[in-house]
Amino acid sequence: MSLAIDQWYTRRQKDAEGDFYRKIVLQSPQNNVNATTQGLFLATPDGKLLGFTNNRSPEWVRAMLKKGLTGFTPGEAELLTNPKPDPNFTYRLPEGGLILTATSKVLKGYEKPASLEAGFFQNSLGRDVLWVRKDEHQALVRGDVMKSFQKRMAKFNLIDNTRGEPHPWQDAEVKQVEMTIKDGVLTGTAHLETANGDRGYKAELRGYVEVRDGKLTKFNLVSRGEAWGYSGCTEAAHPKDKFMLAVAFRIAPGTDEADKVMPQGAKSWFPDYMR
Amino acid sequence: MTALLLTLLLGMQDGLSDADCRKLHDSLKPPAAELWRNIPWKVSLLEAQNLAAKEKKALFIWSMDGNPLGCG
Repeated sequence: MSLAIDQWYTRRQKDAEGDFYRKIVLQSPQNNVNATTQGLFLATPDGKLLGFTNNRSPEWVRAMLKKGLTGFTPGEAELLTNPKPDPNFTYRLPEGGLILTATSKVLKGYEKPASLEAGFFQNSLGRDVLWVRKDEHQALVRGDVMKSFQKRMAKFNLIDNTRGEPHPWQDAEVKQVEMTIKDGVLTGTAHLETANGDRGYKAELRGYVEVRDGKLTKFNLVSRGEAWGYSGCTEAAHPKDKFMLAVAFRIAPGTDEADKVMPQGAKSWFPDYMR
Repeated sequence: MTALLLTLLLGMQDGLSDADCRKLHDSLKPPAAELWRNIPWKVSLLEAQNLAAKEKKALFIWSMDGNPLGCG
Protein backbone atom coordinates (compact mmCIF):
# COMPACT_ATOMS: atom_id res chain seq x y z
CA MET A 1 0.00 0.00 0.00
CA SER A 2 1.59 3.28 -1.13
CA LEU A 3 1.19 6.52 0.76
CA ALA A 4 2.45 10.00 -0.19
CA ILE A 5 2.45 12.59 2.59
CA ASP A 6 3.78 15.98 3.58
CA GLN A 7 5.63 15.07 6.76
CA TRP A 8 5.54 18.70 7.92
CA TYR A 9 1.93 18.03 8.97
CA THR A 10 2.04 14.38 10.01
CA ARG A 11 4.98 14.55 12.40
CA ARG A 12 3.27 17.46 14.19
CA GLN A 13 -0.23 15.95 14.44
CA LYS A 14 -1.29 15.46 18.05
CA ASP A 15 -3.67 12.61 17.28
CA ALA A 16 -3.67 8.88 16.56
CA GLU A 17 -2.47 9.37 12.99
CA GLY A 18 0.50 11.45 14.15
CA ASP A 19 1.29 8.89 16.87
CA PHE A 20 1.32 6.09 14.30
CA TYR A 21 3.65 8.02 11.97
CA ARG A 22 6.04 8.96 14.79
CA LYS A 23 6.11 5.32 15.94
CA ILE A 24 7.43 4.32 12.50
CA VAL A 25 9.96 7.11 12.01
CA LEU A 26 11.41 6.76 15.52
CA GLN A 27 12.61 3.28 14.52
CA SER A 28 14.51 4.74 11.55
CA PRO A 29 17.68 6.83 11.22
CA GLN A 30 15.33 9.78 10.54
CA ASN A 31 14.28 9.75 14.19
CA ASN A 32 14.19 13.40 15.20
CA VAL A 33 10.54 14.38 14.97
CA ASN A 34 11.41 18.01 15.76
CA ALA A 35 13.06 18.32 12.35
CA THR A 36 12.24 17.02 8.91
CA THR A 37 11.58 13.29 8.78
CA GLN A 38 11.44 13.07 5.03
CA GLY A 39 12.37 9.79 3.41
CA LEU A 40 10.97 6.51 2.15
CA PHE A 41 9.71 4.12 4.80
CA LEU A 42 8.44 0.55 4.63
CA ALA A 43 6.40 -0.68 7.59
CA THR A 44 3.95 -3.33 8.65
CA PRO A 45 0.31 -2.20 9.09
CA ASP A 46 0.87 -2.22 12.85
CA GLY A 47 3.80 0.15 12.57
CA LYS A 48 6.93 -1.98 12.67
CA LEU A 49 9.64 -0.50 10.47
CA LEU A 50 10.80 -2.86 7.73
CA GLY A 51 13.03 -0.53 5.76
CA PHE A 52 14.12 3.07 5.17
CA THR A 53 16.08 5.12 2.67
CA ASN A 54 16.30 8.81 1.98
CA ASN A 55 17.76 8.19 -1.46
CA ARG A 56 15.18 8.47 -4.22
CA SER A 57 17.13 6.70 -6.96
CA PRO A 58 15.18 3.72 -8.31
CA GLU A 59 18.04 1.35 -7.46
CA TRP A 60 18.15 2.40 -3.81
CA VAL A 61 14.39 2.29 -3.40
CA ARG A 62 14.09 -1.08 -5.10
CA ALA A 63 16.84 -2.52 -2.90
CA MET A 64 15.22 -1.13 0.26
CA LEU A 65 11.83 -2.58 -0.67
CA LYS A 66 13.28 -5.95 -1.63
CA LYS A 67 15.25 -6.24 1.61
CA GLY A 68 12.40 -4.95 3.76
CA LEU A 69 9.78 -7.24 2.28
CA THR A 70 11.87 -10.34 3.04
CA GLY A 71 11.17 -9.59 6.70
CA PHE A 72 7.43 -9.09 6.20
CA THR A 73 4.98 -11.79 7.19
CA PRO A 74 1.39 -10.84 6.34
CA GLY A 75 -0.76 -11.07 9.42
CA GLU A 76 -3.62 -9.53 11.34
CA ALA A 77 -3.34 -5.85 12.29
CA GLU A 78 -5.76 -3.51 14.00
CA LEU A 79 -7.39 -0.81 11.91
CA LEU A 80 -6.12 2.60 12.95
CA THR A 81 -8.82 5.04 14.01
CA ASN A 82 -8.46 8.77 14.49
CA PRO A 83 -11.54 9.96 16.42
CA LYS A 84 -10.12 13.42 17.14
CA PRO A 85 -8.04 14.63 14.17
CA ASP A 86 -5.75 17.50 15.16
CA PRO A 87 -7.45 20.55 13.56
CA ASN A 88 -4.18 22.45 13.52
CA PHE A 89 -2.74 20.06 10.95
CA THR A 90 -5.72 18.42 9.25
CA TYR A 91 -7.53 21.07 7.25
CA ARG A 92 -10.92 20.59 5.62
CA LEU A 93 -12.34 22.41 2.61
CA PRO A 94 -15.09 24.71 3.91
CA GLU A 95 -18.61 23.54 3.08
CA GLY A 96 -19.77 24.74 -0.31
CA GLY A 97 -16.20 25.46 -1.35
CA LEU A 98 -14.44 24.45 -4.51
CA ILE A 99 -11.03 22.98 -5.31
CA LEU A 100 -9.04 24.21 -8.28
CA THR A 101 -5.85 22.54 -9.41
CA ALA A 102 -2.87 24.75 -10.27
CA THR A 103 -0.05 23.56 -12.49
CA SER A 104 2.99 25.67 -13.31
CA LYS A 105 5.84 25.49 -15.77
CA VAL A 106 8.85 27.54 -16.77
CA LEU A 107 8.27 28.00 -20.50
CA LYS A 108 11.62 29.53 -21.38
CA GLY A 109 14.65 31.17 -19.81
CA TYR A 110 16.79 28.23 -18.77
CA GLU A 111 20.35 27.71 -19.88
CA LYS A 112 21.48 24.27 -21.05
CA PRO A 113 21.09 21.94 -18.04
CA ALA A 114 24.33 21.22 -16.20
CA SER A 115 23.20 17.81 -14.99
CA LEU A 116 20.53 15.17 -15.51
CA GLU A 117 18.73 16.39 -12.37
CA ALA A 118 18.79 19.99 -13.60
CA GLY A 119 17.18 18.76 -16.81
CA PHE A 120 14.38 17.16 -14.79
CA PHE A 121 13.82 20.43 -12.94
CA GLN A 122 13.72 22.40 -16.19
CA ASN A 123 10.95 20.20 -17.56
CA SER A 124 8.99 19.71 -14.38
CA LEU A 125 5.41 20.70 -13.78
CA GLY A 126 4.65 22.38 -10.46
CA ARG A 127 1.44 21.13 -8.84
CA ASP A 128 -0.76 22.55 -6.16
CA VAL A 129 -4.40 23.25 -5.39
CA LEU A 130 -6.33 26.43 -4.67
CA TRP A 131 -9.21 26.21 -2.22
CA VAL A 132 -12.16 28.51 -2.91
CA ARG A 133 -14.65 29.59 -0.25
CA LYS A 134 -18.41 29.18 -0.72
CA ASP A 135 -19.00 32.93 -1.10
CA GLU A 136 -16.17 33.19 -3.62
CA HIS A 137 -17.56 30.20 -5.50
CA GLN A 138 -21.01 31.78 -5.59
CA ALA A 139 -19.49 35.06 -6.78
CA LEU A 140 -17.79 33.28 -9.68
CA VAL A 141 -21.16 31.78 -10.61
CA ARG A 142 -22.54 35.34 -10.77
CA GLY A 143 -19.58 36.47 -12.86
CA ASP A 144 -17.76 38.30 -10.05
CA VAL A 145 -14.21 37.63 -8.91
CA MET A 146 -13.90 38.44 -5.23
CA LYS A 147 -10.78 40.27 -4.10
CA SER A 148 -10.08 37.63 -1.45
CA PHE A 149 -10.00 34.96 -4.16
CA GLN A 150 -7.75 37.05 -6.39
CA LYS A 151 -5.36 37.69 -3.55
CA ARG A 152 -5.19 34.04 -2.46
CA MET A 153 -4.49 32.94 -6.00
CA ALA A 154 -1.82 35.61 -6.44
CA LYS A 155 -0.07 35.00 -3.12
CA PHE A 156 0.05 31.24 -3.24
CA ASN A 157 -0.33 30.08 -6.83
CA LEU A 158 1.13 32.73 -9.14
CA ILE A 159 4.51 31.42 -8.17
CA ASP A 160 7.34 29.24 -9.45
CA ASN A 161 7.00 25.94 -7.60
CA THR A 162 8.52 23.82 -10.34
CA ARG A 163 11.65 22.91 -8.38
CA GLY A 164 10.22 22.53 -4.87
CA GLU A 165 8.51 24.54 -2.17
CA PRO A 166 8.75 28.33 -2.74
CA HIS A 167 8.02 31.03 -0.19
CA PRO A 168 4.53 32.41 -0.79
CA TRP A 169 4.23 36.08 -1.64
CA GLN A 170 3.64 38.35 1.34
CA ASP A 171 0.69 40.77 1.34
CA ALA A 172 2.96 43.72 0.61
CA GLU A 173 4.49 41.88 -2.32
CA VAL A 174 1.15 41.70 -4.13
CA LYS A 175 1.67 44.97 -5.96
CA GLN A 176 -1.38 44.58 -8.14
CA VAL A 177 -3.91 41.93 -9.09
CA GLU A 178 -7.06 42.45 -11.10
CA MET A 179 -9.47 39.95 -12.60
CA THR A 180 -12.82 40.47 -14.26
CA ILE A 181 -15.28 38.21 -16.04
CA LYS A 182 -17.23 39.36 -19.07
CA ASP A 183 -19.34 37.02 -21.22
CA GLY A 184 -17.64 34.00 -19.70
CA VAL A 185 -14.12 35.24 -20.41
CA LEU A 186 -11.88 36.00 -17.45
CA THR A 187 -9.10 38.49 -18.06
CA GLY A 188 -6.66 40.08 -15.70
CA THR A 189 -3.18 41.11 -14.73
CA ALA A 190 -0.94 40.53 -11.74
CA HIS A 191 2.29 42.04 -10.45
CA LEU A 192 4.11 40.41 -7.58
CA GLU A 193 7.48 41.63 -6.37
CA THR A 194 9.63 41.62 -3.26
CA ALA A 195 10.62 44.91 -1.65
CA ASN A 196 14.20 44.68 -2.88
CA GLY A 197 13.11 43.47 -6.30
CA ASP A 198 15.09 40.23 -6.20
CA ARG A 199 12.01 38.14 -7.04
CA GLY A 200 8.96 38.99 -9.09
CA TYR A 201 6.30 37.98 -11.57
CA LYS A 202 4.35 40.18 -13.95
CA ALA A 203 1.61 38.24 -15.65
CA GLU A 204 -1.38 38.45 -17.89
CA LEU A 205 -4.34 36.19 -17.13
CA ARG A 206 -6.96 34.85 -19.47
CA GLY A 207 -9.48 32.07 -19.11
CA TYR A 208 -12.97 30.74 -19.57
CA VAL A 209 -15.70 30.28 -17.04
CA GLU A 210 -18.88 28.27 -17.57
CA VAL A 211 -21.89 27.94 -15.30
CA ARG A 212 -24.69 25.41 -15.53
CA ASP A 213 -27.67 25.11 -13.20
CA GLY A 214 -26.11 27.55 -10.75
CA LYS A 215 -22.82 25.67 -10.55
CA LEU A 216 -19.40 26.44 -11.91
CA THR A 217 -18.68 23.75 -14.50
CA LYS A 218 -15.56 25.20 -16.06
CA PHE A 219 -12.76 27.39 -14.77
CA ASN A 220 -9.93 27.17 -17.26
CA LEU A 221 -7.50 29.97 -16.53
CA VAL A 222 -3.93 30.65 -17.61
CA SER A 223 -1.44 33.10 -16.22
CA ARG A 224 1.63 33.86 -18.30
CA GLY A 225 4.37 36.38 -17.84
CA GLU A 226 7.91 37.30 -16.99
CA ALA A 227 9.33 36.10 -13.70
CA TRP A 228 12.67 36.42 -11.97
CA GLY A 229 14.41 35.22 -8.82
CA TYR A 230 13.81 32.24 -6.56
CA SER A 231 12.92 31.44 -2.96
CA GLY A 232 12.90 28.58 -0.47
CA CYS A 233 13.63 25.24 -2.07
CA THR A 234 13.44 26.59 -5.62
CA GLU A 235 17.03 27.83 -5.62
CA ALA A 236 18.41 24.58 -7.05
CA ALA A 237 19.10 24.91 -10.77
CA HIS A 238 17.06 28.11 -11.00
CA PRO A 239 17.06 30.19 -14.20
CA LYS A 240 19.89 32.71 -14.09
CA ASP A 241 17.99 35.55 -15.71
CA LYS A 242 14.37 36.44 -16.30
CA PHE A 243 12.17 33.58 -17.40
CA MET A 244 8.68 32.96 -18.74
CA LEU A 245 6.40 31.35 -16.17
CA ALA A 246 2.91 30.01 -16.80
CA VAL A 247 0.32 28.73 -14.33
CA ALA A 248 -2.89 26.96 -15.34
CA PHE A 249 -6.00 26.49 -13.21
CA ARG A 250 -8.91 24.10 -13.67
CA ILE A 251 -11.65 22.62 -11.52
CA ALA A 252 -10.33 19.56 -9.70
CA PRO A 253 -12.14 16.52 -11.10
CA GLY A 254 -12.42 15.01 -7.64
CA THR A 255 -11.39 11.64 -9.01
CA ASP A 256 -7.66 12.12 -8.57
CA GLU A 257 -6.04 11.34 -5.20
CA ALA A 258 -3.98 14.51 -5.69
CA ASP A 259 -7.20 16.54 -5.44
CA LYS A 260 -7.25 15.71 -1.72
CA VAL A 261 -3.88 17.29 -0.97
CA MET A 262 -4.10 20.37 1.24
CA PRO A 263 -3.02 23.66 -0.38
CA GLN A 264 0.65 24.44 0.04
CA GLY A 265 -0.28 28.00 0.97
CA ALA A 266 -2.36 26.80 3.92
CA LYS A 267 0.72 25.43 5.65
CA SER A 268 1.39 27.21 8.92
CA TRP A 269 -1.87 29.09 9.32
CA PHE A 270 -5.06 27.83 7.67
CA PRO A 271 -7.40 30.65 8.81
CA ASP A 272 -5.06 33.18 7.24
CA TYR A 273 -5.05 31.18 4.00
CA MET A 274 -8.85 31.16 3.69
CA ARG A 275 -9.25 34.82 4.69
CA MET B 1 5.42 58.11 -32.58
CA THR B 2 6.83 55.21 -34.63
CA ALA B 3 8.56 53.81 -31.53
CA LEU B 4 5.31 54.04 -29.57
CA LEU B 5 3.37 52.22 -32.30
CA LEU B 6 6.03 49.54 -32.49
CA THR B 7 5.92 49.07 -28.73
CA LEU B 8 2.13 48.77 -28.81
CA LEU B 9 2.24 46.26 -31.65
CA LEU B 10 4.90 44.18 -29.96
CA GLY B 11 2.92 44.32 -26.76
CA MET B 12 -0.16 43.04 -28.56
CA GLN B 13 1.84 40.18 -30.04
CA ASP B 14 3.01 39.23 -26.55
CA GLY B 15 -0.53 39.20 -25.19
CA LEU B 16 -2.48 36.03 -24.49
CA SER B 17 -4.73 35.44 -27.47
CA ASP B 18 -7.66 33.07 -27.31
CA ALA B 19 -5.69 30.43 -29.22
CA ASP B 20 -2.56 30.92 -27.06
CA CYS B 21 -4.61 30.58 -23.93
CA ARG B 22 -6.31 27.33 -24.93
CA LYS B 23 -3.08 25.81 -26.24
CA LEU B 24 -1.12 26.78 -23.13
CA HIS B 25 -3.85 25.55 -20.81
CA ASP B 26 -3.86 22.15 -22.53
CA SER B 27 -0.07 21.94 -22.40
CA LEU B 28 -0.05 22.48 -18.64
CA LYS B 29 -2.34 19.55 -17.94
CA PRO B 30 -0.42 16.76 -16.17
CA PRO B 31 0.31 13.92 -18.62
CA ALA B 32 -2.10 11.04 -18.26
CA ALA B 33 0.57 8.36 -18.39
CA GLU B 34 3.27 9.40 -15.94
CA LEU B 35 4.98 6.29 -14.58
CA TRP B 36 5.12 7.53 -10.98
CA ARG B 37 1.40 8.31 -11.04
CA ASN B 38 0.60 4.75 -12.11
CA ILE B 39 1.28 3.79 -8.50
CA PRO B 40 -2.07 3.99 -6.66
CA TRP B 41 -0.89 6.53 -4.08
CA LYS B 42 -3.05 7.39 -1.09
CA VAL B 43 -2.62 10.73 0.69
CA SER B 44 -4.41 9.76 3.91
CA LEU B 45 -2.30 7.78 6.36
CA LEU B 46 -5.44 6.52 8.06
CA GLU B 47 -6.92 5.23 4.82
CA ALA B 48 -3.64 3.66 3.68
CA GLN B 49 -3.10 1.92 7.03
CA ASN B 50 -6.64 0.58 7.03
CA LEU B 51 -6.30 -0.77 3.50
CA ALA B 52 -2.88 -2.27 4.28
CA ALA B 53 -4.31 -4.00 7.36
CA LYS B 54 -7.35 -5.33 5.50
CA GLU B 55 -5.31 -6.55 2.55
CA LYS B 56 -2.43 -7.77 4.74
CA LYS B 57 0.08 -5.66 2.82
CA ALA B 58 3.09 -3.65 3.89
CA LEU B 59 2.86 0.13 3.98
CA PHE B 60 5.23 2.11 1.76
CA ILE B 61 5.44 5.76 2.82
CA TRP B 62 6.88 8.52 0.62
CA SER B 63 7.28 11.27 3.17
CA MET B 64 8.48 14.67 1.97
CA ASP B 65 8.52 18.37 2.73
CA GLY B 66 5.53 19.26 0.60
CA ASN B 67 3.22 16.49 -0.58
CA PRO B 68 4.78 14.62 -3.50
CA LEU B 69 1.41 14.68 -5.30
CA GLY B 70 0.71 18.31 -4.77
CA CYS B 71 3.56 20.67 -4.12
CA GLY B 72 6.43 21.56 -6.33
